[in-house]
Amino acid sequence: MAKLKYLPRHKKGFIICHWLNGISFLMLFLTALPLYIPSFGDFYRAVGPHNLQLLHRFFACVFIATPFVGLFIAREGYKRLFSEALHFTKDDIEFQKKFPAELVGGEPDLPPQGFYNGGEKMNILLQMGLWCVLVASGLVLWLGTSLPQSLQAWAIPIHAIAGGCGFAAALGHIYLALGVNPESFQGMKDGTVLTDYAVHHHGKWVDELVAEGKVSRKDIE
Amino acid sequence: MAQEMAMLHDISRCSGCRACMVACKQWHDLPADMSTPFEGQYQSHADLTPTTYNLIKFNETTDEQGKFRWDIIKYQCMHCGDPACRNGCPENAISKLDSGAVVINEDQCVGCGYCAKNCPYGIPKIDGIAHKSRKCDLCFDRIQEGMVPACAKTCTADAISFGPKAEMEKLAKERLEVVKQSFPNAQLYGVGDNKVGGNHMMYVLTDKPEKFGLPADPATPKSIDMWKDVARPIGQVATFGAVAGIVGMAAIAQFRKSRMDKKHDEKKEG
Ligand code: HEM
Ligand code: SF4
Ligand code: SF4
Ligand code: SF4
Repeated sequence: MAKLKYLPRHKKGFIICHWLNGISFLMLFLTALPLYIPSFGDFYRAVGPHNLQLLHRFFACVFIATPFVGLFIAREGYKRLFSEALHFTKDDIEFQKKFPAELVGGEPDLPPQGFYNGGEKMNILLQMGLWCVLVASGLVLWLGTSLPQSLQAWAIPIHAIAGGCGFAAALGHIYLALGVNPESFQGMKDGTVLTDYAVHHHGKWVDELVAEGKVSRKDIE
Repeated sequence: MAQEMAMLHDISRCSGCRACMVACKQWHDLPADMSTPFEGQYQSHADLTPTTYNLIKFNETTDEQGKFRWDIIKYQCMHCGDPACRNGCPENAISKLDSGAVVINEDQCVGCGYCAKNCPYGIPKIDGIAHKSRKCDLCFDRIQEGMVPACAKTCTADAISFGPKAEMEKLAKERLEVVKQSFPNAQLYGVGDNKVGGNHMMYVLTDKPEKFGLPADPATPKSIDMWKDVARPIGQVATFGAVAGIVGMAAIAQFRKSRMDKKHDEKKEG
């Protein structure tokens, strides 16, 4: 057992942004569901369509504002997010090839991973791309009434496809966090992770911490 | 089956008296509408509104000789054969009747505004208080009773005609020949097949459609098929697929785990 039981992973500001993003995303999906899946139409009418439309716009503001809030309260975390996601390594690719076995309870022999693993990097890139598409098409739907008619018409399917893909990816993300690696969840609660977990799942990151002198080898072995 | 009907507005005959606007309001019990500001022109409202289904537009223009004139046109729903508004309505609130009228069912409408975004003519307007979409309904209720739409009935200059579609098409062609003698650019609009499936609101225009603020080549947007046939199914498959996939993966993982635990126990016991 390691002497230092927990390693600090995320700062408070970053955790706040994560939950702002996650909750607004989920609420955006739920408030738009009746337009998306016709069988939810009665739910729409029961709650009052206009209420859901207003809520969709409210959470859209939260969703759009989150990264900008992050600029102030979680600059370091966002910087890391961008720089990691944009640097794919050989190990990341190998991780992506071998990891799927773990989804169904296998224990593949995975290469050591950095702060974010190959799968997380893929999710981050996907979410960043979808953020741009959802915000751009959403703003056209909301405020673009004087834009060319065909652009407004195209915003509808584009927004809907991005919403669906985003939801599927989010479910996958939640399953991995709660079902496959429940130890990681604490990182988004108090910002720490079990040292053993970090050594096993983010070996290169732990090496970094040691190299930077933030923890010593002794403490974690 | 009811007969397929159509309305024809002969621009060359229209005097711009706006009696049809008043008749439309009266039949639909719509209040006077001061929502668009007076801009020093003859035209009453800048655009259609949730309580103005029918608008006489006064397009100011100068002809080849530099002489000022108004190109007047009656503007309302074109009652498309393949209506973009209906195709793209997520609540199936819009239907196309046998008479040709495209009608919004108020109870089904949730005011999402997709019909307004999809309509190539920019016709439906969302009522910001009731949160419902509004537009001309071709007075389908009058048609059902064998009457003529209120606007056509009231027209003081015989510029609006209404009747079986084939008859209206014939009349349009006859009128075009006459109008061409004074307006060389005269043409028909919405008569015969086009990319919105033909219209049940047709025109004899004295000039190019652009002069009247009409799209030259209106089309039912392809993006609607994309939304209906691709976006929604993909989204639904992605949503339900992700849920099913997760449940499935969790089940397999659980199964493997319990088998491993069993092996473990057996080893210990043995
Ligand atoms: C995580 C982000 C988002 C998700 C998951 C999402 C999801 C959806 C979905 C599924 C629909 C219905 C699509 C359909 O017609 O089939 C929709 C509609 C709409 N979305 Fe979003 N959306 C998101 C972000 C945004 C943003 C950022 C904006 C505005 C800036 C926005 C504005 C709209 C508008 C105006 C509609 C039309 C329906 C309505 O008025 O409620 N959305 N959204
Ligand atoms: S003109 Fe617009 S509102 Fe009228 S039927 Fe065509 S698409 Fe629908
Ligand atoms: S505003 Fe009403 S009629 Fe128009 S697309 Fe939405 S639900 Fe259908
Ligand atoms: S057909 Fe009826 S609803 Fe349409 S413009 Fe004429 S009077 Fe108004």
